[in-house]
Amino acid sequence: MGFMNITKKGVAIALSAQLVLATQAVTLAQAQMLGTDTAIAKYTALADRAVLMDELQRGEVRNQIIELGVDPAEAEARLAALSDAEIATILNQMENDSAGADIVGTLFTVFVILLVTDLLCFTRVFNFVRCIR
Amino acid sequence: MLHARVQLCALHPLSILRRAASLLILSWLAACAAPFDPAERITADVPTRAAVQGVPLIQQAAFYCGPTSIAMVMQWSGHDVTQNDIAKLAFTEGAGGTYTADMIGSARRKGQLAVEISTFNQLMREVSAGHPVIVFQNLGLGIAPVWHYGVVTGYDLQKDEVYLNSGQLDQMVLPFDLFERTWRRGGFWGLVVLPPDQLPVSAREPAILSAAAALERANQLDAAETLYETGAAQYPQNWLWQFGLGNTRYAMGDLRGSRTALRRARNMAPDIPEIRANLAHVEAELAG
Repeated sequence: MGFMNITKKGVAIALSAQLVLATQAVTLAQAQMLGTDTAIAKYTALADRAVLMDELQRGEVRNQIIELGVDPAEAEARLAALSDAEIATILNQMENDSAGADIVGTLFTVFVILLVTDLLCFTRVFNFVRCIR
Repeated sequence: MLHARVQLCALHPLSILRRAASLLILSWLAACAAPFDPAERITADVPTRAAVQGVPLIQQAAFYCGPTSIAMVMQWSGHDVTQNDIAKLAFTEGAGGTYTADMIGSARRKGQLAVEISTFNQLMREVSAGHPVIVFQNLGLGIAPVWHYGVVTGYDLQKDEVYLNSGQLDQMVLPFDLFERTWRRGGFWGLVVLPPDQLPVSAREPAILSAAAALERANQLDAAETLYETGAAQYPQNWLWQFGLGNTRYAMGDLRGSRTALRRARNMAPDIPEIRANLAHVEAELAG
C-alpha cells in the first residue's frame, strides 16, 4: 500500500509539474514575437532541399542516373548529406548559370544530373560538392 | 598581420603609382597563364555591352576606398551621403581599412538592401540590369596584396573592357582578363547595394529575405517594411515575406498592419506554428 501511495504521489507531482511547465511555455510564446530570422533559416533550408529532391524524383533525371549505373536511393542519400549552406550555394550557381532559361526545364535537369555525378566523382562542376571516394 | 579581408587604399599619389606598377606586373603575368575567356566563363544570357548611368566618380580620401564605394552607389540611388558618413559606420582605424562585413553592415545601417554576390555571371547580370556592383579586389599580388574596393559600372565584351569607378576622378578601364585576376584574388567578393524598393536580379530569394531580416534587426524598420512589401510583390507565393512584414509592423507599433500581414501569411500557410503564435500574440494585444 505504501508503495502504491508513493507512486501515486509521484505521478501527481510529475503531472502538476508538467502542467505548470506547459502553461509557462504558452505564456513564454505569448510574451514575445517569434523572430523572422529563425523562421527564414528554418523554412528556406527545408524548401531548398525539397527543390533538389523533387528534381531527383523526376522520371528523366532518374532514368539518366540509372543509366549512369547509380542507384537513385544512393544519389538521394548523398544529396541528403550536403549541408544547408552547400545546398544553397549549389542552387545559387544553378540559377545563375541557367539564367534566362526555364528553371524547371532541361538546363536545371542537366544541373541536377551534374550534381549527382559530382557527388560520385565523375565530374567536377560545383566547387562546394564533396566528392565521396 | 592584417586580416586577409582588410583593404589598404594607400595615399592618393602613392596609390596611383602603386596601382600602375601592380597593373603592369599583372599584365605581364597574365601573358604566362591561360587568358580569361568571357565567352567561355560567362554562361548567363547577358548583352554584349552594358553601362549603369549616373554613378558619380568620387575622389577617395586616404584608405577610404570602402566607404567611398558605398557612397558612390548610394549617391547613384539618390541619397545624400559622403564617404565620411559611411566611414564612421564601416572603417576600422587600427586595420587601416574596411572589412567586408562592415561594408555590408554600414549599407544596412543606412537603410539599404545589401546582398553579396560571388560569381561572374551574377556580376554581369546585375550590371546589365542597371545595378552597380561593389567588388573587392587585390590589385597587387598574392604575396604583396594591394586590397581595394571599386564599383563596376559597365562592361563591353566586344572591346574587352570592364569599367569601374575606383576612388579616382577618372574611370578605371580594365581588360576582362586582368579584371578577373584582381577580383579572383579578392575571393570574387561582390556586393549589390540597392534602395529597398528595388531587388537584385541575380541573388536567390532566401538571400534577399535574409537581407530584409537584417534590416529589421538593425532597426531600419521603414526600409525593412518597404523591402518585405517589394519582396511580397515579387514572390507572392512565399509566406515568409508577409511574416516578416507582420513582425516589422509590430515592431513599428502598427498592430493592425501587423495583423493584416500575418493573416495573409496564415492564409497562405495555415499549418506554420510561427505564424499562428505571432498572430495570436498580435490579436491578444489588439483585444487587450
